[in-house]
Amino acid sequence: MKKSELYGRQLCLTPREAATLPADVQKITGIQVSGTRIQCMRCGEFLNPREAQLPNNQYYCYACLNLGRNSTLTSLYHIPEPNDFPQRPTCSWQGQLTVQQRTCAQRVRENFEHRHRHLLWAVTGAGKTEMLFPGLTWALQRGLRCALASPRVDVCLELAPRLQAAFVDAEIALLHGRNPAPYRYCQLTICTTHQLLRFRHAFDVLIIDEVDAFPFAANPRLYYAVNQAVKPHGALLYLTATPSQELLRQVRRGDLEISYLPLRFHQHLLPMIKVTLQPHWWQVIKRGQLPNRLRRQLARYQQTQQRFLLFVPQVAQLAAVQAAIQRALPALRGLTVHATDPDRLAKVQQMRDQRVQFLITTTILERGVTFPGIDVIVLGADDPLFSTAALVQIAGRVGRSRERPTGLVWFLAASHARTIKRAQRQIRLVNRKGRRLRDAMPVVSTIDSK
Amino acid sequence: MQCLLCQRLIQSKFSLPWLLSWRPFTRPVVCAVCWQRFKRIERRTACPGCGRDQTVPRLCPDCQRWPAERPFHNVALFTYNDAMRAYFQQYKFHGDYRLRRVFEGTMQTALHQLNGDLVLIIPVTPSTLLSRGFNQVSGWLSDGLNQPRGLQTLAREKGVPQSKKVRQDRLRTPQPFMLALAAEQIQGKRVVVIDDIYTTGRTIRHAADLLLESGAKSVTGLTLAR
Repeated sequence: MKKSELYGRQLCLTPREAATLPADVQKITGIQVSGTRIQCMRCGEFLNPREAQLPNNQYYCYACLNLGRNSTLTSLYHIPEPNDFPQRPTCSWQGQLTVQQRTCAQRVRENFEHRHRHLLWAVTGAGKTEMLFPGLTWALQRGLRCALASPRVDVCLELAPRLQAAFVDAEIALLHGRNPAPYRYCQLTICTTHQLLRFRHAFDVLIIDEVDAFPFAANPRLYYAVNQAVKPHGALLYLTATPSQELLRQVRRGDLEISYLPLRFHQHLLPMIKVTLQPHWWQVIKRGQLPNRLRRQLARYQQTQQRFLLFVPQVAQLAAVQAAIQRALPALRGLTVHATDPDRLAKVQQMRDQRVQFLITTTILERGVTFPGIDVIVLGADDPLFSTAALVQIAGRVGRSRERPTGLVWFLAASHARTIKRAQRQIRLVNRKGRRLRDAMPVVSTIDSK
Repeated sequence: MQCLLCQRLIQSKFSLPWLLSWRPFTRPVVCAVCWQRFKRIERRTACPGCGRDQTVPRLCPDCQRWPAERPFHNVALFTYNDAMRAYFQQYKFHGDYRLRRVFEGTMQTALHQLNGDLVLIIPVTPSTLLSRGFNQVSGWLSDGLNQPRGLQTLAREKGVPQSKKVRQDRLRTPQPFMLALAAEQIQGKRVVVIDDIYTTGRTIRHAADLLLESGAKSVTGLTLAR
C-alpha cells in the first residue's frame, strides 16, 4: 500500500494486513471498551454489548459494518495529512454569477479563509454549485485539501463531471459505495457522507451538500463523521434548501454562521403550498375512484396538457392511484416510479422527453430532478414519511424554468400536520427575504442571466 | 424490534391462542417478508444422499458419483438461493455476528431431532478464526460456546478458499482435517457433523471419511443450505 493512501485516512485493518504498512503509521484503537461502555471510534456509535459481542470477549461495530468490519480484532491506521499537492489547479469556469450569487460566493470564500463553520441556505434551484467555485479556487490555489460530500450518490455522480469541467487541471477522486475504482490521494474529493467515516483530520475545507437529505439528517453517526473528517481548524460549509431544526439551533447558539440566498436564478419567488383537507383520500382511491377535487384538477390537466408529478407516501399505493386515474381519465398517460423500480431511470427519462404527461412517485423524486414547468400534487402530505424537508423539496420542483417560473403546489392531506405547517412557514420566510432582496436590487441585474 | 436482514420494524401481534398456550414470548428477529424468501427443503422428498430439494426422493446425479456403500448421508434445511447467498455474504464474509440469531432456533431444533451420540462441527482455520472472530457454525449452536473440538484443521497454509473454486478444483481438495479425539470416543457412535453449506459435498465427506475410518457407526451431515 502506498503511503499517500493513508494520508488523512483511518483504515480498518487486521494486524496481518497492517504488517506491510510504512513504519510511521499511527495506530488508533478501533473500539474503545471501558467498563460497560463500548464505543466505535470510527463512527462514534455507543454499542449495545449484547448485540456487538463476538466469542471470547471480543466486540465489533454493527453500525458501520458496510465499510468493512471494525472490531477489537482490528485497529485503525492513520497518517496525518501533509497536504502534499505539487499542482495548483486553476478555475476554468467561464460562467457569470448573478449579483446575489456573487455576494454569497464572497461570503463562502471569506468563511473558508477564516476557517469558519457556515450554513448556506439557498432556495431550491438557486445555483448552489456555481457559488462554490470562487471559494474552491482560492482553497485549491493555496494547496488546501478540499472535499464535497453529499448523502446521495446521485448528487455525487452529478457533481463530479461539473467540478471536473470547472477545474480541468485538478485531480478529483470520486468515492462512493458502488464505485469499484481504488482510492486515490487527490486534492479534491467528491464522496458520499458515509465515505467520510474513512477519513480523519483530512480536509481543510469540507462542504456538505444537501445536509437535510436522508440518511444524513437522521443519522448522528454522520455528524460524527463530518467532525472527524475535517481538520481541527478546518472550514465547514453546509449547503441546504431546507435546514433542519438542529442546524438552525446551532445557528442560534452561534456555533454556525448563516447566509441566505432566497431568490432563484430567475429572480422569482418560490410558489406557495396550497393545502386542501381530504380526510379519506386513500379509502376513496382504494375503491377505485378519485376524490372529486382531484378528478376535476386532473381533468383540467387533461385539457391543458399541463405536465405534473403526483407524490404518494408509500410504494404500495402507487398501483392503486394509477388504476384509479386510468379508470376516471383514460386519456391521461402516466407511469409509476419507486426506488427499487428496475426501469426507474428509463421512466424518468421518458418524463424528461415529454413522452408521458405525469409520473406517480414516492419521495425518491423529491430532489435532484428538474422537469421544466411542471405542477406538483401530493396525496397524503401529512403522512409521517414526508418530512418538512421533503415537502419543501417537493414544492421546489415547481417553477424552475424561466418560461414558467410559477406553478401549482397542491397538498391533499387528512390533517394540517406540523410538517406541512413548518414547510409553509419555511417557504414564507425565504419568500419574505427574497422579496426584500428583490426590492432592494438595482433594476439592471434582473436582466443578466445565469 | 428491527428485522436483522432488512432493518424494517417488526410488528408482533399477540393472538389469543398464543396467550392461552402459556408459552414464553420469543422476539422475532426477522420479518415475515425476509423469512419467506428462504426456501425450506422438504425432508420427505429430498435426495437421501445430500439433502438436495427434489420432487421425488431419489439419489441425485451428484450423489450417484460418490461411492454409495458408506453409512453417510446429509440433511440440509434450506435451498441455497439468492436470499441465502445474501445471508452468508453478510454473516460470514462481512462478519455480522448478530445474524447467527436468524437460524439459531431452526438449527438447534434440527440437531435435536437428529439425536446423534456425538456432535462435531466443521472447524475454520486458525487464521480465519482470528480475522473473522467466530466460527459461523458454532454461532448457531448455543452462542458458539462449549463445543467439543473434535475436528481440527491440519496445519497447512490455506490457499484459495472453497467458495472461490470451481467444482473440479473443489473435488480435488485433499483431506483438510484431523481428529483430536481418542478412538474409543468415536467407536460405534452415531456422529452428527455440522457445516454451513453443502455444495459439492467434498468438505463434509472428508470429515465423514475420517470418522468412519476411526470406527464410527454412522455419520450424518447437517447443513443449513444445499
